Amino acid sequence: MLPSKPLRERRHQRYRLLVALTLTGFGLTLLGLVRLQILDGGRYAGLAKENRVRPEVLRAPRGTIYDRNGELLADSSPSFGIVFRPFPAESTQRALEAMSPAWLARVSALVELDSAEVRSRVNFANLSGQSAMLKHDAPFAILARVEETRSELPGIEVQLEPLRRYPHGTLAAHLLGYAGEINGAELDTLKDAGYQPGDLIGRTGVERRYEDVLRGRDGVEYVVVNARGRRVSTLKESGELAPVPGQDLVLTLDLKVQRALEEVMADVPRGAAVVLDPRDGGILAMVSRPVYDPNEFSHGLTRARWKQLSEGGANPLLDRAIQGVYPPGSTFKIVTMSAALSRGVARAGTRFAPCLGGLNYGGRRFGCWDHRGHGSLDLIGALQHSCDVYFYQLGLKLGLARLEETAKALGLGARTGVDLPQEARGLIPDAAYYDKRWGARGWRSGLLLNLAIGQGELLLTPLQLALMTAEAAMDGRPLRPHVVERVGRAPAFRPARPVQPGLPADSAIWRPVKEGMELVVAAGTGGAARVPGLRVAGKTGTAQNPHGQDHALFVCYAPVDSPRVAVAIVIENAGHGGSVCAPRAGAMLRRLFLPDSLQRPAARPAPRDSARRAVVDTGVVDAD
Amino acid sequence: MPTRSRLRLPALDMPLLLAALALVCLGLLTVYSATSIPGAHQGLWTRQLAWAGIAVAVAWVVASIHYRAYDALAWPLYIIAMGLLVLVLLKGSSAMGAKRWLDLGPLHFQPSELAKVATVILLARCFDQEKIDLRRFKHWFPALLIVLLPFALVAKQPDLGTSLTFPVILIAMYFWAGMPVGQLLLGLSPVFNAALFFLTGGLWWSAGLVVVLLGAVRPRLATLVVVVLLNFCVGYALPHVWNHMHDYQKRRIVTFMNPGEDPYRAGYQIIQSRIAIGSGGFKGTGYLKGTQKGLAFLPMRHTDFIFSVVGEEWGLLGTATVVLLYALLVLRGFRLALVARSGFASLVAVGVMSALFYHIMVNILMTIGWAPVTGLPLPFISYGGTALVANGIQIGLLQNVAIRRMEL
Repeated sequence: MLPSKPLRERRHQRYRLLVALTLTGFGLTLLGLVRLQILDGGRYAGLAKENRVRPEVLRAPRGTIYDRNGELLADSSPSFGIVFRPFPAESTQRALEAMSPAWLARVSALVELDSAEVRSRVNFANLSGQSAMLKHDAPFAILARVEETRSELPGIEVQLEPLRRYPHGTLAAHLLGYAGEINGAELDTLKDAGYQPGDLIGRTGVERRYEDVLRGRDGVEYVVVNARGRRVSTLKESGELAPVPGQDLVLTLDLKVQRALEEVMADVPRGAAVVLDPRDGGILAMVSRPVYDPNEFSHGLTRARWKQLSEGGANPLLDRAIQGVYPPGSTFKIVTMSAALSRGVARAGTRFAPCLGGLNYGGRRFGCWDHRGHGSLDLIGALQHSCDVYFYQLGLKLGLARLEETAKALGLGARTGVDLPQEARGLIPDAAYYDKRWGARGWRSGLLLNLAIGQGELLLTPLQLALMTAEAAMDGRPLRPHVVERVGRAPAFRPARPVQPGLPADSAIWRPVKEGMELVVAAGTGGAARVPGLRVAGKTGTAQNPHGQDHALFVCYAPVDSPRVAVAIVIENAGHGGSVCAPRAGAMLRRLFLPDSLQRPAARPAPRDSARRAVVDTGVVDAD
Repeated sequence: MPTRSRLRLPALDMPLLLAALALVCLGLLTVYSATSIPGAHQGLWTRQLAWAGIAVAVAWVVASIHYRAYDALAWPLYIIAMGLLVLVLLKGSSAMGAKRWLDLGPLHFQPSELAKVATVILLARCFDQEKIDLRRFKHWFPALLIVLLPFALVAKQPDLGTSLTFPVILIAMYFWAGMPVGQLLLGLSPVFNAALFFLTGGLWWSAGLVVVLLGAVRPRLATLVVVVLLNFCVGYALPHVWNHMHDYQKRRIVTFMNPGEDPYRAGYQIIQSRIAIGSGGFKGTGYLKGTQKGLAFLPMRHTDFIFSVVGEEWGLLGTATVVLLYALLVLRGFRLALVARSGFASLVAVGVMSALFYHIMVNILMTIGWAPVTGLPLPFISYGGTALVANGIQIGLLQNVAIRRMEL
């Protein structure tokens, strides 16, 4: 079949156009070749002879982290690292020589790495043409030895690099998190995002959550070096990329508050404490114990030290403030009380059967923490003295569904949405949970008695406790705890927490709760948190712990008339909240609210003292 | 006797054949040189020699079957090729972050090479009609769909460089099958739009261009509507979508458009390649005497960057020879399209040649730093079995057209 009409028509014309295009294309190519090989040929021949062009990564400095007042919390400072620089000019042969066993042994001894690790890093460098970091922030002694042995150890050099620095050491370590050198597995998955060997990557805390904005983008330049590895000039012609520095973060954290909290928590072996700004949910301070120094990670951890940190029994890497879950104990009575008031189950003056030190229910005796009994109390008095018997009866009237709904509406038992990684959910059990655990009808309302006083299956994080306290202080306004105030110059994006059904958000509901909480501190179980001249409202808690001694808890906010801090302190296996946690809260509030002259001369008030004083003042032996 | 010998070698296009063979020989020599340094890849040239033999045999077979058979089998071929492309996405083995290969026992096979040939054959079949009028929507639109499928499948691997071969083939065959140049440019205007947006950030230029083209071409209504809609989509939506994307999404797209695995390494390769070619000067350093090719930093010196080795060792004499051989090959190919006996044969020749031309241009311009780093091999020269056999098929098809150009 002959070509069709449209194909035959003006065929020669089209053919000529195709030929013209082809000739243009190849002509252009020839032109490019002539330019490259003849006009610039001499220059390239020089480069090829001398020929040491290599890419230098221009590391983007990681963003700086400030507290809300512009105090420095984390930055990058210049340091000297030991690197292996591959040989672009010499043949592969020469590169192989550099990897002789003797070389490897000397280098690995010098940088204190095992030789397999050194070998793999050097191999990667030879493949990619990029420098391989062998030791970060090398001490002067090692630097000096590298300079001495330079001629014997080809490829080993000293290089300037930014080092992540946390000037306050362990202060707010868990909240800030740490950044470490990226590892092989991460490199494989994050290659598209432009990570390279030697880059820092945020591993926990703010460093991890805000990795994208903190890291910036590395640049690259191509440098010509001479035979001794010294830079001669920079190639400008192609592929040059300027580094884009990471963005700075301004946290809601207040260094002053953080310091005060760190101080009162200094001698705590295991525990956590959070201070929230109840007005907007910003985290003012956050402490978890035991603690580690994030600077250690910047220098590169030895395997042994990493093992010690990650596998030791106390697990210092765990951020107990958001990842630790604890039964809330009597602090949960705040939730029970607000639920009862909002559902009309009880009013401020409601009295039930008097407390005689315990309550018989379902054939079992449920004791009050004070075996002598509290007698007849109204609702406010019951909170003030943390009377379990009163709250047992309140819980029974309230029922599981309404208690659970109120707790969840307050944001408990779910992630608060704080901008920190790996937050725990906690647990507010509901009927479905019990059905699943014990089988439908396999459980009785007796467990409601335990829930009403914060025992049983309930689990909350210290952050959730602080959130609960802040919401009480703000008459139930839903808050979203957060830690980053501004990213670069823009305010951080923060979706509001949706209002859930069943949220008690009426000041009439909260007035008796707050009154009771103020009495807890003024003349109740939390007397140790009293601060002269400051109205403090709080609640003590002691959570039974099947694995050991009770956990001590205390939550409070101050000043009562215009709340500015909401505090939650949890100390593991420490006994009673009123005697262990409340004095620490009091000491911290004194530091924050009292002028310096009114404070005691000792930098850290002795908790034992204030606890004893509380006993004398209130006549109450101890918290719940 | 003369008649018999004529039957033996029936009207082969000798310049085309010799140019291709010369390029393959040059390729073998260069692969030998590029892999002569101790270390990885040494001795690969023997395998390349074997592949060259296979490629010649395949070319022979492809040339000896009458192209009417390919015409008749166009759809099954296309469907099989698309099936393989889907298979490679599902089960392919990846190299450098892209799934391009199918493992067939000891063999690696790259289905995109087959897809190119199959698409050319199917398009030729579609355009080879007595009443074809590519100004009409119902005539040009099916071809667009035929090409979009392999384009999308290969782009998904992701292999943008290879996937762009398909639109290049389509444009060339549209043109050869009689679509007016004005309309072709009009159809491409959304692409210009997008390119201008990324280059300049503004769209006034391309808006003006579209208006001028519309005035000049006066297309039919359906075409007009589609073109204007497409331009509107690109012109209006693109900046909007772009500005609302997250940084990491933008980064993905930028990485996709610059597929040189990572930008740091790509820039370095280009510098090394330019140094190698430039240092060759006029005469070159001499065969096997190149120093730059030994650099471990040109890891693809026997595949994608083999032209750099040619440039270093043989200088401008070598590179110009290679470029002229390619020019001869391409021009002979287009001439075959002109003299071909049937519309189908003519269209196949143009389709095959445009794909080759695109590969040659993109690869050479990449090695001298005038085009982005893509994973495209240099036809006939780069090391690689599938590509060489695919080139054999292409030459076989062209010779097929040549042999039968005197038929009645």
